[in-house]
This record gives sequence, structure tokens and C-alpha cells, in this order.
Amino acid sequence: MFKTRIIVDCDPGIDDAIALLASFVSPELEILAITTVSGNQPLETSTQNALKLCELGERTDIPVYAGSHRPLLREPIRGQYHGTTGLGSCNLSEPTKTPEPAGAVEFLIERLLLAAQEEQPITLCALGPLTNIAMALKIEPSIARGIKQLVMMGGAYREPGNRTLTAEFNILADPHAAHIVFSSELKIVALPLDATHQVILTPDHVARFSAVSGRISKAVSELMMSWDRNQVERYGSRGGPLHDPLVIGWLLAPEHFETKSVRVFVEYQSELCMGQTVADWFYKTGLEQNCQIVTQVNSASIIDVFLERFSRYQTVAAP
Amino acid sequence: MSVRRIIIDTDPGVDDAAAILLAIASPELDVIGISVVAGNVGLTESVKNACKLVSIAGRQDIPVYAGAAGPLVREQVFGKYAHIGAFPDEMVPPSSVKPKSLSAVRFIANEARAAAARNEKITICAIGPLTNVALALRLHPDVAAGIEQIVVMGGAFKAMGHRTAWAEYNVYADPHAVDIVLGSGVKLVLFSLDVTLQALFTEDDFRGLERRGGEPGKCLAALLRAFDRSDIARFGRPGGPIHDAMTVAWLLQPGLFAGKNTAVGVTRDGPTAGHTWADFHRKSDHVANALVIRTVDETGFRQLLVSRIASMGIQSPSRNEKVSATI
Repeated sequence: MFKTRIIVDCDPGIDDAIALLASFVSPELEILAITTVSGNQPLETSTQNALKLCELGERTDIPVYAGSHRPLLREPIRGQYHGTTGLGSCNLSEPTKTPEPAGAVEFLIERLLLAAQEEQPITLCALGPLTNIAMALKIEPSIARGIKQLVMMGGAYREPGNRTLTAEFNILADPHAAHIVFSSELKIVALPLDATHQVILTPDHVARFSAVSGRISKAVSELMMSWDRNQVERYGSRGGPLHDPLVIGWLLAPEHFETKSVRVFVEYQSELCMGQTVADWFYKTGLEQNCQIVTQVNSASIIDVFLERFSRYQTVAAP
Repeated sequence: MSVRRIIIDTDPGVDDAAAILLAIASPELDVIGISVVAGNVGLTESVKNACKLVSIAGRQDIPVYAGAAGPLVREQVFGKYAHIGAFPDEMVPPSSVKPKSLSAVRFIANEARAAAARNEKITICAIGPLTNVALALRLHPDVAAGIEQIVVMGGAFKAMGHRTAWAEYNVYADPHAVDIVLGSGVKLVLFSLDVTLQALFTEDDFRGLERRGGEPGKCLAALLRAFDRSDIARFGRPGGPIHDAMTVAWLLQPGLFAGKNTAVGVTRDGPTAGHTWADFHRKSDHVANALVIRTVDETGFRQLLVSRIASMGIQSPSRNEKVSATI
């Protein structure tokens, strides 16, 4: 089977955790590394959570690299729905696995240069602020040749923001990094709030995930129950939007998604609209398209994909 | 004498050439590497020029690293003298030195962290846009702990209107990087246009550089003549500034300069992006974050630069020789 080689850059985070757990049991994906970044949680917590999740998913073979300790210019902001540990009410034991000695930015540079040299470019999955990727691109622009594509969760276009009126968290947390990434030559697939708000993980879904997830059932149940926003007026039901897992979902089953190629710009100057992502839907700027935005998701189908993946935790064998 | 270990972060550049040669000529300083950034000229040309400079200084052992090819966030702007490009071979002979494969940013970060681990610190002379230094500071939180000070050529407070009406070039080229450095907590010494325009070099100095027949002096004199920075309408007298070399001169003879600890800030974006302000009169509650150098002993600085570089490449007497004033 042809495997997609990925590096997951993340700030776990409950939805990052669900994304990682889905990726761990997906043999189509060869996870070369997990890199962590300051975002939902401070770097140390993000890194510890990534290690804990590797142990929970019995994927301690995946190296974890700790990355940027803060955004490029703005002061750090933290996620509001992840509890004090970043994993809600899910208390995983302290990991015995440790992060790799090298930093995530250095690892990205070296691994992607190697990929470029071997002509085997890697897919980057970005589930947090884009600081690590922007840093790596600025320090060594030629890594772009080692990147097949960047599949990222972030931005809000026709949907309002989730942290401010206009901004989605990952972009707001480091708008300068996002600007750097969108100004690069990378091929980008973006899952903005416009897409992720179509996939609400309801209490009914949580019960189904909990029932199928075998040996990680308790943790999955705790993670997912902590994710309920309880904002029916906003989301149309109880539950929370399945942001980060859709990055993995898109890699596993792109047929359940519709995209549109556009030019994307990131606001990094105005305090009112800081972190807003703006799409040139109708080619007004004459500038080249730099992003494939996911506009539609078949919610029922993608949730079925994830249910089937989590059911693999009933059997022990890791891929 | 304790020798100070320095990295020169640079975008050579003619006045960068003077700074690099002055540092290499000075036994008080150990130049552990030259990190190159795009600025006055593009990265490729800057790197080539840095390699040529270590060669004519007879110090092919000093490693040269290529760094950021452009600013962090803003669109790239080059210097007023960008047409210089790579130094012409007839002025500065070609070099066989090649840059190392490691990025300049990682070189700076590695050296600072290694120094911190030994309870030591390095000094950085930053005489181009601050992109490399800012990236190195962001790479790991312990980089700052390994840096004794960053001696920066950049900014303008009272002497406006150099690259734009409101900004000095190095800051204008990457104001976001400047903001990162200003907020880093590392000791900063700032040489703005206010002070760099106080020392003007004339044909007398160029002849002084060549007087002893050393190759570095001859090359620098040729460059300074070819890319004349004099502006009698602005400066009110003949001669042109050699901005960047002041940072090195301060490390050698701080007594030539006087400054004030001051809160300094930069405008990152908007129509006056790259503007720097200094709260000399304590009008705000911003904490002082830089020693802003405000005056220079012009004669002393000119003598130091000319005598040290003129002595390079001369067999004897030693390069420490005190030469009489050549101006």
C-alpha cells in the first residue's frame, strides 16, 4: 500500500488529541514525527500531551519534537475549551516517553531538506498556530521543495471568528506566521471554521465513539465529553466542532470534502480584525491562488470514517 | 587581555566591510563567525562579499554562514547602494572561501546556547537588518541567555530622512525583526544615524588606509571611493559616514562614545513602518531597553579605524602598532 508520509505539527489540545488518535490507527499514513508548538497550551504542556497520547495509542515509535515556545510577535493566547491540562477531564498518566533532543524547527528543516534531496516530499499537517512552519521556512526557504502539501486547520472566511469577531484561534495566535506561510510557495489545503462548523460532535456521537473505541474507550469518552460547547443556538445542537481531526479526515477520505482554490490573505496589522483570513473568491486581485479552502464537508460520512478508525482500537495491533 | 568572542551579523555592503575588517584587525576581538543576511544587497551577493572580506583579511578560517534571504513579514527592500552588488573583482579580489551549509540563524542560536551552557556569553555586532538575530532569539528561549549584548547599527531619532523620511534602512528593511530584538531582554547598544552621521571620512582617510600598502586597506579605500557617501548639502562639510564600523569601534574603545539608557520602540506597520522612537525625556513608563549612543569622538574613531585597517596584512611591526594620526 502506498503510504502518505506526514509530520503532524500540533498543540494538543482536545481536538488535536482526537486527530492524533485517528491518525495512529490509519496505515495509509506514515507518521514520521509529531512536532509541538505553543498554542492551545504552553509548549511544555503541548509536548507532554503529545507524549501521553503516543503512549495511550501505543505509538511510542513516533518521535516527538518540541518546537516554538511562543508566537513570532504577538503575546501568546491560549485555548479556552481544553481544561487546565489541555485534555479536558481526561487524565492520562505522566509519560515515560521523552521528547527528542533536537528542536522541532531544526527537525523540520533537516527532515524536509532530506525529503527534497530524496525527491520524496512530505505532507505537513498543521493543527495549531503556524509558528514552527513559518520559522522553518524563513530560516531555510528551500525546505519548500521537501513539502508535498500543507493541510492545515485554521482561518474563517464566510463564517465568523471563534476567538474574536473575525479571527479563528490558530491564525489569531500567530498571524505573522500565518502571513509568512500564505506568502510562501507551499501548496496549502485549509480547513477553516466554514468547514469544521459543519461537523459537530454531538453527545449521541460521543456515545457511539465511546462504544466502539475498545481499549481507549474511557479516554475517548472523557476527551469528547469535555468538548461539548453546550451552545445550541450557535452550533444547532449540543456538542463541539471537530476542528483538527478533519485534517486527518481530509487525508483519509477526501471524497467527503469540497474545496475551492483561491488567494488567501492574512490580516496582521489591524487590532480589530487581527488574524482575519480573507479569500479572493472572485479573482479580484489578479494574484495567483495559494490555497485550496474546504467549503463543504459531508458530516455524516466523515464521522462514520472516524468511527470505523476508532473501532480499530478494539484490536490491539498498531500499524 | 581577555578576548571577546563576537559574531558579526552583516549584509556587506561597503560600511559593513569596514566593520568586518576593523574587527578582524583587532586582537581584542575573536570573530567566531560571520552570519550574513540579505539587506543592502541580496543574500547571494552579501555572502560572496563576506567571503571576499575574510580572504583579503587573511582569515579564511573564519566561517561564513548564509542566513535569511529576506525580511520576516514585510516585502523586501534593498539599500540605497544596492547597485554595488557583489564587490567588483578589481576592487576586492575573488575568494575561494565558501559559506558553510548551516543556516546563519542556527549558527547564532547554536553558539549562544553553547556559550550559555558554559556560563559564557557571546557578543553580536548586528549591522544589517535584524532578521537573522530575531529568528535566532525565537528559535529557543535559552538563546538570549548566551548573548552578552547585541551592538546594533540601526534607527534614527533626530537624524531623520535617510532611506525614507521617517526611517533608517536597517530598521526599515525588517521592522518586525527589530521589534523582536528590542523586546528580547538582551542588553542592546544602539548606533543610530544620530551618531553615525557625526563622523565623516574624507579622501585623507582613504589615503591613510592605503598608506602602508596592505591589501585590506587598499581594497577598503577603493570601495569607499567608488561608492561615495558624502552629501555636503546634508552634512554641511565634506566626507561620508561609515555607519557600521562604529559598533566594532565601541567594543574596542567605548570611551570614544557617550550614550544614554533609554526606552526604544519601533513602528512595525503602516505608512511610517520602520520609524524608531527613543524616550530620552522619560515621557512614558516604558522601561529602558537600549543604551542609545548619542555622541562620538570623531577624530578618535577615524584614527582607530584607519590605523587598524591600514596595518592589516603588514608583516611587521605588529598589527597593534600605534600609528600616528593620518588625518
